[in-house]
Amino acid sequence: MELTTPGVATLRRDPDQRALGDAETADAALAASGDGRAFERLYRAHVARVHSLVRRMIGPDHADDIAQDVFVRAWTKLATFRGEAAFGTWLHRLAVNVILARRTTLGTERGRYDDSADILDDVAGRPAAPELSMDFEEAIGQLPDGARRVFVLHDIEGYRHDEIADMLGIVPGTSKSQLHHARMALRRHLER
Amino acid sequence: MKDQWTDRLSEYLDDELAAPERTTLEAHLASCDGCRTTLDELRRVVTNARALDDRPPTADLWPAVAARIGLASRARPVVRRFSFTVPQLAAASVVLALLSAGAAWLIVRRATISTPPVVISGPAPVLLNASAYPGDVRFDAQVADLERAVARGRGRLDTATVRVIERNLRIIDRAIRSAQSALAADPANSYLNLHLAQEMRRKLELLRQAATLAGARS
Repeated sequence: MELTTPGVATLRRDPDQRALGDAETADAALAASGDGRAFERLYRAHVARVHSLVRRMIGPDHADDIAQDVFVRAWTKLATFRGEAAFGTWLHRLAVNVILARRTTLGTERGRYDDSADILDDVAGRPAAPELSMDFEEAIGQLPDGARRVFVLHDIEGYRHDEIADMLGIVPGTSKSQLHHARMALRRHLER
Repeated sequence: MKDQWTDRLSEYLDDELAAPERTTLEAHLASCDGCRTTLDELRRVVTNARALDDRPPTADLWPAVAARIGLASRARPVVRRFSFTVPQLAAASVVLALLSAGAAWLIVRRATISTPPVVISGPAPVLLNASAYPGDVRFDAQVADLERAVARGRGRLDTATVRVIERNLRIIDRAIRSAQSALAADPANSYLNLHLAQEMRRKLELLRQAATLAGARS
């Protein structure tokens, strides 16, 4: 992985992905013309990634519902997929949009984009023993919403700060600040 | 420990500091154990984040997705497993052998009967003799017309759709050529005639759909 060249299309690419790309583009074209089996193949190939993204961004409680929403939306929007980017990249961006649209209706805002580090101290300042036993994924889930979303989008999914700022309606400086606070809080949950 | 540089360590890690700040911070790191330790921990956080595995949902969401987009009725039917005893299998093989022999006898018998070529006029040929196809003027004209229509509207189709259409046309053309070669050896074979007619119809239908998709035909 490269630290200096984020971007979802590059971070998650492995050698087999290019070979799969053509098949997925063809499946997307078939699905756009109503082929349910082609769409099921796309679903099977991407459900783990979409579900993980939803779980990390929103939490586990509504992950199944929102992941379903993502694929339903993808089905209705297939005609807009032009094959210019990989299908996975297109689906991923659509998933982020669905998640962000759902965040307010779910009322999961917790300290939204609070720049102060106080709220993060709760995550960073837990007693030693529970910290060590806490799963890294679980620790991400404990972050305040703003810091968690920026951390997931930047460090896990590979988006740049300017892209994140556009998606979340914040300035890039806030995105950088939230990312740093999230990383500082998560240091305590590293395996020793 | 926290100093004025601690809050800049993530930007340093992501190579987002301007050159002068970077140089100053690197000089600071050389003398500050606390910042070096923090930087190393931040680097490990990033490494951990990028190593996280994606996990599928615990329950399969496809049935619900398929239902919501109206594909539920097209779900795959449940496959039933049948088992047979050895005597049942033996009886079935005898029946199959008799049916195969009967079908072969019928084909050979019909092939020996001289049948004049039959050309049915209308929108789609139903049964034609092989001699009608290699130079079938009407079919060739229809294909040429549709191919021109597709070529005119090709720019309106995305590349993936064009690839799928071309791949299917190649498959159909292969089937047509195979049927034509087989008919050259056995011109009166009714099955081959029917098969060829079906493939030609399929080609026309695919070209019509492609032309409609391309918006090149009224």
